[in-house]
Amino acid sequence: MVHKLSLIVNGIKRTVEVKDNEILLDVLRDKLKIKSLKAACWRGECGLCTVLLNGKLVKSCLVLAVEVDGSEIITVEGLVKDGELSPIQRAFIEHGAFQCGFCTPAFVLASHQLLIENPNPSEEEIKEKLGGIICRCGTYLEIIKAIKSASRFYQKK
Amino acid sequence: MSFGSPYFTLPEFTYHKPKTLREALELLEKYGDEAKVMAGGVGLIPFMKERLISPTHVIDIKEIAELKKLEYKKGEGLTIGATITFSELEKYQLLKEKYRALYQAVKLASDNIIRNRATLIGNICEAIPWVDGPIPLIAYGAEVEIKSLDEVRRTPVADFIKGPVEIDLKPGEIVTSIHLPDIPEEAKSGFLKFNTGSEFALLNIAAYLLITAKKKDVRLVYGAISSKPARALEAEKILLRDGDLNALISMAAIKASEELEVISDVLASEDYRRHLIKILTMKLLKELVEEV
Repeated sequence: MVHKLSLIVNGIKRTVEVKDNEILLDVLRDKLKIKSLKAACWRGECGLCTVLLNGKLVKSCLVLAVEVDGSEIITVEGLVKDGELSPIQRAFIEHGAFQCGFCTPAFVLASHQLLIENPNPSEEEIKEKLGGIICRCGTYLEIIKAIKSASRFYQKK
Repeated sequence: MSFGSPYFTLPEFTYHKPKTLREALELLEKYGDEAKVMAGGVGLIPFMKERLISPTHVIDIKEIAELKKLEYKKGEGLTIGATITFSELEKYQLLKEKYRALYQAVKLASDNIIRNRATLIGNICEAIPWVDGPIPLIAYGAEVEIKSLDEVRRTPVADFIKGPVEIDLKPGEIVTSIHLPDIPEEAKSGFLKFNTGSEFALLNIAAYLLITAKKKDVRLVYGAISSKPARALEAEKILLRDGDLNALISMAAIKASEELEVISDVLASEDYRRHLIKILTMKLLKELVEEV
């Protein structure tokens, strides 16, 4: 059966047709052309397909597309406002918090959500909250530095 | 992006999203063992990708209001509905204060993104030998409530899990909730997990300890050591004796490491797991006793 989904993706209303057995990750990447999410492990272990689904981080490789009709989805593309990078994106650049960049969209999105929920996280909290995402290059220390430095922008909010 | 390999795609099925439990039960009755219930999907979807199971009907229970129950009643205990996620449990203050072992297990289960979707009941129904959820539940003597169109029954979590990926659930039935009995103020409980960076626990252990002048009640539960969670009944008996508690703890830890059925596998040898049982039992019990 084909379902017509209506979604708000990064603030824009989108409609898309999906079958019962389609995975949200594939629909976002291949049908809606959101390429920041990466398909890497396909089984919920690496977290590179993480999106914000109705305000909660989820791994989109473990979500059926048909489940999320009517939902709001935010990916890292949605953090850019009027062409300006968000503070957390700038902090990642300033601290060189990536090497190959494959995991960066997921880490930026999860870091952004972490700072919204807790603008002044301890190092332990950062590690705990990002524990579900894997950086194959091992830039974790720089990521932690970037989050700490961006935290002041979230405190002002 | 399907590369044509099963690993990246899901088998074909019909998706259902019932609004009421009655509707869900009718679907289960109709499709029998061709149907699978899905809540968070974090267990079901990978299993389906790997074609370990290929249900032709997937019944999503997330919209069913009566399964969203999370409620504590003094004297009766805690009820956790089938769609309550680990994240919701983590934020539930009462769990931290009263059911510490479950709180600690919830915090250590998988990662915090998975926990936004994964449900405790899904975790139990997976019945994978190294998962964390069942261990504290068995320590509290929790029961699962199971419904079908014409029956409601309760069974202890310890009996519900029959073996690896094998549970006491017939076609047409659904686990609607878990009930944890109320526990006395003086009772202590805790959970420890030993893993080496992977999600697979080499050992997880929960302890429930009530030691007062009037009453003694002890439960020690171990996971990831064999085909299903197990209690160390002889070690529990040692802790019920009178005497120096620290000495009893040492004796109980040694007894537990000897009495339990333990397997060897690629993650750890039997000897290593027995060693872990001894060390972690001692560590956990000492922590709990120091709190008393």
